Amino acid sequence: MNQLADYLPFLIPLVVAQLGLAIFSVIHVLKHPQYRFGNKALWVVVVLVFQFIGPAVYFLFGRGDQE
Amino acid sequence: MRAYLAFIKKEGLELIRTYKLLLMFLIFFAFGVMSPLMAKLMPDLMSQLALEGIEISLPEPSAIDCYAQFFKNLTQMGLLVIVLMFSGMLTQELGKGTLVHLVTKGLPKSTILLAKYTVASLSWTACLLLAFSVTYGYTVYLFSGDEIFHLFYSVSVLWLFGLFLLAVSSFFQTIVKSQATQLILVAFCIGGLFLLKLFPKMEEYNPLTLVTDNVAMLDKAYDLTSLTIPIFMTIGLTIVLLLGSLLAFFKKQL
Repeated sequence: MNQLADYLPFLIPLVVAQLGLAIFSVIHVLKHPQYRFGNKALWVVVVLVFQFIGPAVYFLFGRGDQE
Repeated sequence: MRAYLAFIKKEGLELIRTYKLLLMFLIFFAFGVMSPLMAKLMPDLMSQLALEGIEISLPEPSAIDCYAQFFKNLTQMGLLVIVLMFSGMLTQELGKGTLVHLVTKGLPKSTILLAKYTVASLSWTACLLLAFSVTYGYTVYLFSGDEIFHLFYSVSVLWLFGLFLLAVSSFFQTIVKSQATQLILVAFCIGGLFLLKLFPKMEEYNPLTLVTDNVAMLDKAYDLTSLTIPIFMTIGLTIVLLLGSLLAFFKKQL
């Protein structure tokens, strides 16, 4: 347990950033159901499973043009 | 000048509203946190891997390991993220035809291109600064006793290479139509630089030195004057590429 405490100063910001981005992206996926390709289920999975890379791919290539 | 500033503002707004800026900041922040974390974790990970009878002894992690991880992340994933983020800065607008109105109303094409390049460079600068300051903070906190040399120099040449890469990207965006083709061409360019690195005679001119020698630069004995030629090569190539992309963009039908 002592070891884990050593890593907490790293893990907390990292986890906050990852979770924040994942939640934010899921909300965006659900609220904007037009995609350049793929469907809602696919993007939810991509965004949640691949940390950082999933949301990046979604916002760069997956999201539709309509606001 | 007013048009230039207005277009910069428009590009900035676009970055914010498409969430690209947020995404970049989060990713580079993660790079910043992960680099010292990996440096600290590495000995533990290796000892888990140790098989019976094989003793893997690693020295205690030090500040140099943090920066080694930092430069590994930034020179590979970091540059990749930046190039991907701005791979559509021109091609997307050209594809949608949204620039036609602006140009017919008298906005110079050079303003458009330079403003887009400026915004891309500023984002890269901000992202690099963010990642570096986070890593720097953690490293000072963890290994305050270690001495590091030429750190800012090493980060600056990485920054310079990023600017060069963005110029390569904008050059190809003015030449080809599709975002994918452009990305492949940029990849070919980098591949070409790696090939050139195989010839020892070319090595002292190769801009790639700026992102392959970063960790070596942190050593006190590293001769910084050996970088003068690559630095000037990189600056020169960046200017040539920007001029080339301006020329190509002038001739291009919107």
